[in-house]
Amino acid sequence: MSNATSDKPLLIATGVSKHYQMGPSRLDVLKACSLHVKRGEFVAIMGRSGSGKSTLLHILGALDTAQAGKVEFDGQDVFGAGSERRRVRFRRNQFGFVFQFYHLLPELTVLENVLITEMIRTPIAGWLARRGDARKRALAIIDRVGLSARIRHRPNELSGGERQRVALARALVHQPAILLADEPTGNLDRESGAGILDLLLGLHGDGQTIVMVTHDKAVADRADRTLNLVDGRLRDE
Amino acid sequence: MYKLFLTLRYLRKRRIAFFAIGAVTLCVAMVLIVLSVMGGWLEQVMQRSRGLLGDIIVDNHTNSGFPLYDEFITEIEKWPEVVKATPVLYSYGLFQIGKTYNGTVRIVGIRLEEVFEVNAFKASLFYEKFYPGTTRFGDQQQAVLGFDPDAPPVKSPEGDEFMMRELPEPYRSALSHADQVHREQTGQPLTDTDSVPDLVDDSRTHYGQPPIPGLFELAEMRNPPGYEGDTLPGVILGRDLIAERQRDGRYERFIPLGEVVRLTMVPITEVGNVDPTPIKRQFRYADDSRTGIYEIDSQHVYVDFGLMQQLLLMDEGKGVDGDVIPARCSQIQIKTIDGADTEALAQRMEDLYLSYLEDPKRELRPIDRDLIARVQAVTWQRQQAHIIGPVQKEKALMTILFGIISLVAVALVLCILYMIVLQKTRDIGIIKAIGGSSVGVAAVWVLYGLAVGVVGCALGSAFGVWFVSNINEIQDALIAINPAWRVWDMQVYSFDRIPSRVATSDLIGVNAIGVLAATVGSVAAAWRAGRMQPVEALRDE
Ligand SMILES: Nc1ncnc2c1ncn2[C@@H]1O[C@H](COP(=O)(O)OP(=O)(O)O)[C@@H](O)[C@H]1O
Ligand SMILES: [Mg+2]
Repeated sequence: MSNATSDKPLLIATGVSKHYQMGPSRLDVLKACSLHVKRGEFVAIMGRSGSGKSTLLHILGALDTAQAGKVEFDGQDVFGAGSERRRVRFRRNQFGFVFQFYHLLPELTVLENVLITEMIRTPIAGWLARRGDARKRALAIIDRVGLSARIRHRPNELSGGERQRVALARALVHQPAILLADEPTGNLDRESGAGILDLLLGLHGDGQTIVMVTHDKAVADRADRTLNLVDGRLRDE
Repeated sequence: MYKLFLTLRYLRKRRIAFFAIGAVTLCVAMVLIVLSVMGGWLEQVMQRSRGLLGDIIVDNHTNSGFPLYDEFITEIEKWPEVVKATPVLYSYGLFQIGKTYNGTVRIVGIRLEEVFEVNAFKASLFYEKFYPGTTRFGDQQQAVLGFDPDAPPVKSPEGDEFMMRELPEPYRSALSHADQVHREQTGQPLTDTDSVPDLVDDSRTHYGQPPIPGLFELAEMRNPPGYEGDTLPGVILGRDLIAERQRDGRYERFIPLGEVVRLTMVPITEVGNVDPTPIKRQFRYADDSRTGIYEIDSQHVYVDFGLMQQLLLMDEGKGVDGDVIPARCSQIQIKTIDGADTEALAQRMEDLYLSYLEDPKRELRPIDRDLIARVQAVTWQRQQAHIIGPVQKEKALMTILFGIISLVAVALVLCILYMIVLQKTRDIGIIKAIGGSSVGVAAVWVLYGLAVGVVGCALGSAFGVWFVSNINEIQDALIAINPAWRVWDMQVYSFDRIPSRVATSDLIGVNAIGVLAATVGSVAAAWRAGRMQPVEALRDE
């Protein structure tokens, strides 16, 4: 348990609902879910496969929209007016995403896959000035995930665990306020999964706010707090 | 920053993009080649048609011609825009050379010295190039080569001494002068690459040596060079009348210079009637002219203006009742200074000519008034529109045709980019998830199209320019493999070489359109990529 947790909630979701309409049938994935995440907190969201965990995480991370409810980040409404541009800004600056299937860009090397986050944040005119700095930070974070020796490799030359480390480095290089991880260990063997989890715990130890989705009880138990997604509703453990 | 980075990376890593680039390359090269060859052809036709007559042509489109031309010429040569003007006569007649060849020709009466100043006629002459100043309409005999007793003998490489056959003056000095001038200008000796060698006599001509303007005496008759035969006026023949054009563009002349040419003309009266007594005259073949327009070179025979006027009874005379019948010409050719407004000038000239009708001091006969009233002055562009027009149309047609074919390249760019976008759906989701905006992602694909366009155009331009510059060598190489592969048949097109210059404006235009088209081709892909929802894209398996 970390003591870096502050009392002020960084992310507040209230009454978030999401359904998919497929012809005449309607699938209610999320039914008025509410949660808050405090600064420095490590929250785990658990649930069976298909229970809507990814959907919830996407909405929290401004990747997806909800039909009802509200998401507030640091006092700002994520889905307010001019939301598309605002959501892009949130994703670019405040959030870092890690996915179950790594989702690296296959044409890019390890270093480039990490640097791309910085490139997206920097207009072309400013890139030359900031490149050295961005590179330094990218190398530092790659070192932290233990892949310094592999920066010139392409994703298909790496193991699953190594790929997920690159994904983690990519999600963290711009120092996001929240790291959103969607079953980061779900596709890995026990050992690699443990490695990733250790990294997450280490980051949490440094004060990183983390929201992690998992269906593995053992993984969830390492978090500060676990929420259960059952029948579209969130329940505390 | 990522847009440019990803664009370049995708360009290098996606092999399929090379097909798009290849398509653009081929289309750009193709259109460039078509534009250059057709444009070059058009330019040559324009230049030749301009050189044919003059910048402005005054004509009354009757066979009877029109009077007062000398007065008119004196008047307009005072104008600062007019460089030179000269009258011309046209008539039809029969042409006979030797015993065998004859045919109907168009006889053109010109003042040679003046025509040299007005249009490009001088450049069209063959012997005049090697023997400047020798082509003339004045009375002349046929040149005969011979042995000069005063000249020192020549030594052969084997050590034998022999006498060279020499040309009579002024041919000898004229050739050495022309050769000297040519060497000064180009560093090369003056050679004849236009003729097929060994035409009339095996010992006469060798390929690459200047042509011999005259007859050989028999070797055993050791006469000095000179002239023989009747003294007759000169005539210049259209080249295709006395020489045969080969497929490689060279001419085989089967008549030596100075041969007797018989012309039969029929005078045409002021009222357009044909005089029933034809006029027969002998001339000597003084040179041949090739304008590059086959209809002219196979039909025109040029004689002295004054002589022809007399023969056709178109010179000044006295009528039965004692009144003066003015001299007539068929046409006046005028050279203007560069950059003159020829349209306005032509109008002024026509007005001047028609003003002669209003002049009360002139006592013009009704028939003269009628001929003058028909006088028109037109620019060379209008006069030659029937030659230029079809080529212009053909150029436009070909360009449109190949432009339409180039749409295939645009479609291909569109398909390939769209395909890459579909393949890259997940990547697009990732880029959006880590902060790429819709506009940014769309921009990647527009940039991609732009890059395909730029690379394709650069390669296409390089290839097109190379191809056009070497088009004649390429054809030569093809012919060497198989003679049937001659695309540019010089018997058909009257130009020796395929036009081989790319106009800068064509280059810029084609490239601009090429880049634009490839970019437009990417819009559908960009639109699709931009609108892709990140979650949908990420769920894509
Ligand atoms: N675009 C969609 N259209 C229809 N149903 C969807 C769509 N996306 C997700 N779902 C459904 O929503 C439910 C929740 O999906 P998801 O959030 O991925 O679950 P989890 O991550 O908990 O496994 C699933 O039943 C899934 O089939
Ligand atoms: Mg999921």
